[in-house]
Amino acid sequence: MKLLNIAWRNVFRHTRRTLITAAAISVGLSSMIFMNTMMNGADKMASRNIIDFETGHLEVFAKDYYREEGVFPLDTIIDNPISITGNIEGIPGIKGITPRAKFQASISNGVDELPVLGMGVDIEKDTEVFEVANSVVEGTYLQQEGDLVIGTNLAEDMDLGVGSFITIITKDRNGTYNAYDLTVSGIINTGHPLFDRNMAIIPIGQAQTLLAIGEGITEVCIRANDEDNLAPLKEKISEVIGNEYEVFTWKEMNAAIFEISGFKRAGQFMIGLVVVIIAAVGIINTMLMAVMERIPEIGTLKAMGFKNSGIVRMFIYEGGIIGAFGSALGCLVGLLISAYLVHVGLDFSSVFENMDIVYPMKFIIKGEIDYVNLIYVFVFGIVVSVLVSLWPVRKATKLEPVDALRHV
Amino acid sequence: MIKTIDLYKDYRIGKVLFPALRGIDMQIEDGEFTAIAGPSGSGKTTLLNIIGCLDVPTKGKVLIDGTDINELSAKGKAELRKTRIGFVFQTFNLIPVLTAYENVEIPLILLNLEPENKKEMIVTMLEEVGLGDFINRRPNEMSGGQQQRVAIARALVKEPSMVLADEPTANLDSTTAKEILALMQELNGKHKTTFIFSTHDQLVMEYSRRTVNLRDGRIVEDKTKTRGK
Repeated sequence: MKLLNIAWRNVFRHTRRTLITAAAISVGLSSMIFMNTMMNGADKMASRNIIDFETGHLEVFAKDYYREEGVFPLDTIIDNPISITGNIEGIPGIKGITPRAKFQASISNGVDELPVLGMGVDIEKDTEVFEVANSVVEGTYLQQEGDLVIGTNLAEDMDLGVGSFITIITKDRNGTYNAYDLTVSGIINTGHPLFDRNMAIIPIGQAQTLLAIGEGITEVCIRANDEDNLAPLKEKISEVIGNEYEVFTWKEMNAAIFEISGFKRAGQFMIGLVVVIIAAVGIINTMLMAVMERIPEIGTLKAMGFKNSGIVRMFIYEGGIIGAFGSALGCLVGLLISAYLVHVGLDFSSVFENMDIVYPMKFIIKGEIDYVNLIYVFVFGIVVSVLVSLWPVRKATKLEPVDALRHV
Repeated sequence: MIKTIDLYKDYRIGKVLFPALRGIDMQIEDGEFTAIAGPSGSGKTTLLNIIGCLDVPTKGKVLIDGTDINELSAKGKAELRKTRIGFVFQTFNLIPVLTAYENVEIPLILLNLEPENKKEMIVTMLEEVGLGDFINRRPNEMSGGQQQRVAIARALVKEPSMVLADEPTANLDSTTAKEILALMQELNGKHKTTFIFSTHDQLVMEYSRRTVNLRDGRIVEDKTKTRGK
């Protein structure tokens, strides 16, 4: 029989007290896991939306085009795309490559006018990089010049359906206003608010005419085979495109979003920490009671020659066992909640419906479980339990055996 | 051999100084079966605690086989208690979550013995105190007498040179008390372990070969029977 064994028995001396303490720990830890799952899910959804609709894995711009998010200048565009796309296509590890021409515009249904982001796409090639064509929920994707694809929310806002006529108005490269009449061929539902609310997608040829940019495009979008290892690909692309152009990964272009998500993570970690601190107070209380009610036993053990270190170890094992129970329970509950989040998700859409959203996702958040984090949380729970046990246990070590034995 | 030299112990309770021992000089030879008797407050428990390295004297010395225990560090005292001193308490002080076997095992945890030897020592010891059939009982499943037997087994299992028993029969009925005393006497004879008790129970004194009477922290009588009962 070892000290651990004695500690184990002692833990179950007061089963209810142990369970309540463990439950408090588990609430703290499961909320940490829950938050982590939500954040991972939100980040993953945001990442997927950015990659699958907005940027692909990498984008090439003319030098100085990419100044900041939401600005679409026409003075620094790729005037001669063939000269660089040809070079890029030869690089191994690229799955697809497509040009896009983005521009600020507004659309009018004859009654209302709304500002939108216009986007000219290569009807065939765009599908090699993006999922836009697969997100059509009504009508068809772009078939020919004169077609327009818009998102569900924009269609709703403008009261448009498949076959509706609209006018798109924009300033061309020379500062002249141009307008075209277009027919809505399809309505998309991407889950990316920018695409569902603000995007007017037209064939690239039409965009080029509208903007008077000749063969020009604003960006070349690239999908890689291995999305987790973009740095070497970026380097190769940057070698072949030369100094007049520059290439960015999707992460670089969305650094702000992940910065926000970093803050949120920190915030949520703090919330979790507060809950864990409350649980820790529970452990301290439980361990303090355990020490106090067992002072004569501590005296007996000391009389038998146990040193303080042995007694401390016994109580620390006890704290650790309670912590392990709480951690295991917390991880289990956290995992169950996470499983629900992964399969069903949480619907925040009613909360965020009328808000301007910078986060590129819809507010039905599906979770994503991080199993490494789960292990961290488990260990964290035990470590915290052991550390906070030290303080009450110190009381036991300060007792002289004779005083401990006399204690009633 | 245990020797106390001019042993004093004062307790301070609030502002009042309470002298518990006032100059105890005595010598206890190996293998003795000795009672420290006296009314409550006479200093019996204090004397036992000091001899057992659980408490320190205000003045004076305790020599155990020539070693001055005052000169030992806390660790040294723990070491001495671990190997050479067994304790039996008035309230038994068994660990309630452990079985009789496990309670007896506790002092052996510290001694790093071979598991096989350990098991044999524990079982033999429990059989010697008459609890061969109770090794898996927990304290709350045993009578007071049985619990005290476990405590005696626990004190003796590591084969200490002395067992200090503080009022070992005070919580027992007289029949059980007699059984316990007879048992301790038997074990004293068999193991040659020094037994020192504190008691105010006439019965215990009848069983002891030597009775040291304390009153107000001083030895008032020290008599040795030629033969124990």
